[in-house]
Amino acid sequence: MSESTGARRDEYALETRGVTKRFGGVTAVDELSISIPRTGMTAIIGPNGSGKSTLINLLSGMLPLDGGAIVVDGVGLRMIRAHEIPGLGITRTFQDVRLFDQISVWDNIMVVLTERRLLPALLQRTLARHRERTRAILESVGMWEKRDSLAMDLSYGQRKLLEMGRALAMDVHTYLFDEPFAGLFPQMLERVKTLLRRMREDGRAIIFVSHNMDLVRELADHLIVLDSGQLLVEGDVEEVLSRPEVIEAYLGV
Amino acid sequence: MKAEAGGRPRPAWDPRRLLSGVRGNLELWANLIILTWAVAFAVWQGTGFAIGLGTVFAIWGILSVSLNLVVGYTGLLSVGHIGFFGIGAYAVAVLTSTQDYELLRTGAVPTYEWPFFAALVVGVGLAGLAALVVGVVFNRFRDDIFVLVSFGFAIIAFNSFLNLRGVTRGAFGIHEVARPQIGPWVFDEEFDFLVLALVCLLLVSLVSWLIVTSSFGRVLTTIREDERTAEVFGYRVTHYKLAVWVISAMMAALAGGLFGSWTRFVDPNSFILLESILLVCIVILGGLASIWGSLLGALAFVLLEEGLRFLPFVPDVHVGQARQMTLGLMLVLLMLFRPQGLLGRYKL
Amino acid sequence: MRLRSSRTFWSGDRRGRLLAAALVTAVIAYVGWKIGESPSQALQFGFNGLSVGAIYALLAMGFTIVYSTVWFFDLYYGASAAIGAYGVFYLRSKDALSGLHSVHNAYVNVLFASVVAGVVAWILYETLYRRLSHRYNREVLLAAGGIVSAAAGCYTLAVLHYTENLNVVLSPAVGCAAALATAWLVFKGLERVVGGAGRRIVVGVAAVMGLAVGAFAALYVVGEPGTRLYLSWVLSCLLAGVVGLALYRGLYAHMRERARSPLVMLVATLGILLAISAAIVLVFGSPARPLPDVFGSQPREIWGGTIKDFNLFTVGVAIVAFLGLLFLLKRTSLGRAIRAIGDDEEVSKVVGINTTVVISIVFFIGAVYAALAGVLSGHDTAIQPRMGLLLLLKGWIASVVGGIGNLYGAAIGGLALGMVEQFGIWDLAGEWRDVISFVLLILFLSFWPRGLLPRR
Repeated sequence: MSESTGARRDEYALETRGVTKRFGGVTAVDELSISIPRTGMTAIIGPNGSGKSTLINLLSGMLPLDGGAIVVDGVGLRMIRAHEIPGLGITRTFQDVRLFDQISVWDNIMVVLTERRLLPALLQRTLARHRERTRAILESVGMWEKRDSLAMDLSYGQRKLLEMGRALAMDVHTYLFDEPFAGLFPQMLERVKTLLRRMREDGRAIIFVSHNMDLVRELADHLIVLDSGQLLVEGDVEEVLSRPEVIEAYLGV
Repeated sequence: MKAEAGGRPRPAWDPRRLLSGVRGNLELWANLIILTWAVAFAVWQGTGFAIGLGTVFAIWGILSVSLNLVVGYTGLLSVGHIGFFGIGAYAVAVLTSTQDYELLRTGAVPTYEWPFFAALVVGVGLAGLAALVVGVVFNRFRDDIFVLVSFGFAIIAFNSFLNLRGVTRGAFGIHEVARPQIGPWVFDEEFDFLVLALVCLLLVSLVSWLIVTSSFGRVLTTIREDERTAEVFGYRVTHYKLAVWVISAMMAALAGGLFGSWTRFVDPNSFILLESILLVCIVILGGLASIWGSLLGALAFVLLEEGLRFLPFVPDVHVGQARQMTLGLMLVLLMLFRPQGLLGRYKL
Repeated sequence: MRLRSSRTFWSGDRRGRLLAAALVTAVIAYVGWKIGESPSQALQFGFNGLSVGAIYALLAMGFTIVYSTVWFFDLYYGASAAIGAYGVFYLRSKDALSGLHSVHNAYVNVLFASVVAGVVAWILYETLYRRLSHRYNREVLLAAGGIVSAAAGCYTLAVLHYTENLNVVLSPAVGCAAALATAWLVFKGLERVVGGAGRRIVVGVAAVMGLAVGAFAALYVVGEPGTRLYLSWVLSCLLAGVVGLALYRGLYAHMRERARSPLVMLVATLGILLAISAAIVLVFGSPARPLPDVFGSQPREIWGGTIKDFNLFTVGVAIVAFLGLLFLLKRTSLGRAIRAIGDDEEVSKVVGINTTVVISIVFFIGAVYAALAGVLSGHDTAIQPRMGLLLLLKGWIASVVGGIGNLYGAAIGGLALGMVEQFGIWDLAGEWRDVISFVLLILFLSFWPRGLLPRR
């Protein structure tokens, strides 16, 4: 699963070209074209219902595209199926934390490390390298002591961290985080921020959706502002946030 | 368990520690009671009885272990498992039967007179094939709709057994199903058959254990928890579901082949929907996502029937009904207080 | 939880639709060809389909109203159908079947009577005791309640004992019910016309008319032995309904609070179905039993096809049941409450709807509909303990085919299922009926996962 970060020559980790998604009569994402840089953190902000989560779902193949294409590695894709996205170097977390509830914390991490192909998976037992990696991941998110409890028994913050750890374990290039900071205690928040910074230093592309402007200012390098499914502004964080239309439309100051 | 005030925990064999561990430990109690019950019964009724009971247990055990792969580990509540059981039984019956004892001819029915094991292999393969077809169609259904269509599979299978008279001889059933034979050694004695059935049960349990402890098994549990998320992490969920479905069906067909050969007579009434529902009861009762639980559930189920037979106020003809009633009420109680079953690891 | 169907396996939506269109065309062509081949026979199959479909539609309506309120399938309805049919058998076997296979025995009667007494006592306690306990002496209240419940029990015992004279025994109850209903209707009607002014007169008129109608009804029931049949229907449907209601209040309500998924409820109701079917076999034995013929067995001829009067009656009952439920859901405040709970139970609770009572009523209605279907199908063919499971599955299929949670869908789905079954066995042999309906279900779910008329 590992992608060597230097191998790609492309400037962008992900691009969308005129991506459209309709739900019944409502257009959630409307001819959206954005580009996400190869490295650093990109924040997506926008009011409720502006299509942020839909965009994440489209990028991760959980919803089929109604129009347009997603460009990964310079290849335009009109259809992404969910199980193909690790192969494209993408992984994600969910706004409503989606763990595998009734299996252990340990297995929640293990499962993303092991064999994908069916027959080899049938014969594969746990390998030492998977165990070590799971241990490393669990320690980095501070869940090593909880490894044997069921994911459903964790607190909300712990679940959020575990989900992030699961994404980390995927070891891909592009990470989509849907509201990674929502509902976290300050201590947990610090931990998440540290994790994200470390990932940025590793040269990954991180895309996150957030409502917390302070955190966006603090962490993001690049900012995308959505409004009713369309791109409002895109660019450098400070520059975008000082634009009058953003202040008017979103910050409401 | 709390350590003593002195700090050093008591050793595991300390009777006080054992006792406090036993109290309130439902899993341990279930194990103890059912196993004691089984041993007591065997001792009381003698070996002949134990041998017959053991064979029935082995067949139900294979069925429930295989169904647990689908219901407990993958989270697909299938009520149609009896269909694959029937395919196995009928394949063995049709292929091994000699027409000698056919009293009521239903027309020219071909006989093949194959040896048992060859027929068994064909039966298992046929069930796998059928499961593949059914699985491709059923793969898109989930939750209560899956339950409904699996009911449908059981009904379709039963009606096929009943009405495809050219193959199955319909309601007359097939007599003189062959007993297993390896070279000159025919498994004619009940004891021999018991050994064979138990060996099959052991094999099936072992294979199931290997499956659920492999990476594949872990993926199954994630599919049960959240199919879409498992997909985002790169698993082709439909293929995994199909694979476990086929494996489980083949195990059920193995049980079916043994059953047909053991009773030496196969007719559609052994494969009615009710049996399938009872099988689901066993799996839930024994414990979802627990192989040992399924074995224990099958044991309890077999013992329950025999146990009810000895109750003074239950006449013999009503034993089946009494058992059905007990299981039904037990299902309700379990859903109220323990939705994972006795030894379960997965709460429905 | 609502119906979710993953479209992962067959991702081509358009291909699915094309296939579906081809399928529909094929079915229409087949039916058209059949009608062309022999119109009168086609009409005959149509009639059969209609009468079978009416029963399925009844079941599907019961399913739908419950499913769209609490979002799980209540498999008790299989047992409810069997309870209804066997209730009629119990009440009628001494009389119409001249004691054939009769299972009357005093223990069963006493058991039932004490259950009824207990239920009455419980209802009185729940509804009246708390309200009256600070106004009256507690002992007096308890004694009065006890007497009333004991009287109800004794009355039940009398009804069960003298089933051959059902009309005589039940006539006071029928009279009272008719009187109350008339009085209430007259009161409501007059009050709307007169307004608050002549309240006393309104009450007087209502009371007099109620008494008159009640007395007439009681006398009529006594004089007409033919009413025994209908009384037995009402009684057994009521019984099945009350059992359904009691199951909800006593069991499902608690279970729903802690259930993680609708599957828990499904499995629990499956357990109940198993237990009740086993109990029925224990009491009545497993062989099939007849129910007496209604309206004679001579079929009536209409445009070259024949149909029994009873089947016409079945269709009529289904239509009335459908219209009644439609009226209830669309025009009454109870119906609005039911729909609100279906949309969001928590919000309805906050808004001030007494969800427990409303859902209890829904369960009662559903169980009564299922029981009615059981009774009608029992009269049409025969009754056997296993009929419940099969009827249940057919009703379930019909509600899914029609579109879960949609009343029109339930009616159309039931009818469609009956028709497809009947036209399907034109060329195939009759024993493939059940297979046909399940194949229809699987085809439907594959191509139209949301059914003919989706809820929204």
